[in-house]
Amino acid sequence: MSYQEKRTIVSIISGLIILSAYSLYTYGKYKSGVVIEGDLKFWAGAMLLFIAIGIVSTIIIQIVFHILLSVTIAVKAKVNNEDCDDKEIEKSIQSEMVTDEMDKLIELKSSMVGFIVAGIGFVLALLLIFLDYSAVVMINVMFASFSLGSLFEGFTQLYFYRRGIKHG
Amino acid sequence: MAKKIVITNEIRKFRFFANEMTQQQLAEKVGVSRQTIISIEAGKYSPSLELAFRIAVAFEVKINEIFDIEVKGD
Repeated sequence: MSYQEKRTIVSIISGLIILSAYSLYTYGKYKSGVVIEGDLKFWAGAMLLFIAIGIVSTIIIQIVFHILLSVTIAVKAKVNNEDCDDKEIEKSIQSEMVTDEMDKLIELKSSMVGFIVAGIGFVLALLLIFLDYSAVVMINVMFASFSLGSLFEGFTQLYFYRRGIKHG
Repeated sequence: MAKKIVITNEIRKFRFFANEMTQQQLAEKVGVSRQTIISIEAGKYSPSLELAFRIAVAFEVKINEIFDIEVKGD
């Protein structure tokens, strides 16, 4: 499995963990009766909190992932060739983590998929308001669609890395 | 309607004749990841013109010796 695929899987897993944590937290609060029906301030606060947690945890997870990957590459390089120096190890790490034109094309096409999912969710949220659903349902659908859009982006990236990608 | 073309390549053959150059070595020479070389070799990704030229330069041959096209249909 390539570095790009591993990085994508790590992003998907961290996204899933954040979405699950948000669902469990809000469902727990809702079930316990702490949240009053239609309390938009609570939902907005919970979403802001989990967006902040999501950003911070993604940064930390990516840093830890890159450190672990670098250590793994360095150990492999030493096992394969005991005489290799730090410069060679650094070169191996850099060549493993290079981002090229194929990665950019995959990123572009998969982000398009992510935006489509988020866009569909946004339209669905507006439709729900039109159909007299509460504003709480609307903002949750919007939040879920943006989160799902991000997850779809990751799965699309994995698909393109496995199946290949064509221009156009 | 435009005819469908499939870009084929002889990278594997040229690697063999270049003293069994590894995919990693070729990737480093042309400045891409090993994953990209694997995809090009397997026909899963068509490189940009610039990358195709870089690969040709790496093997010191003309681009049409490595890359060719197959026209599908009428």
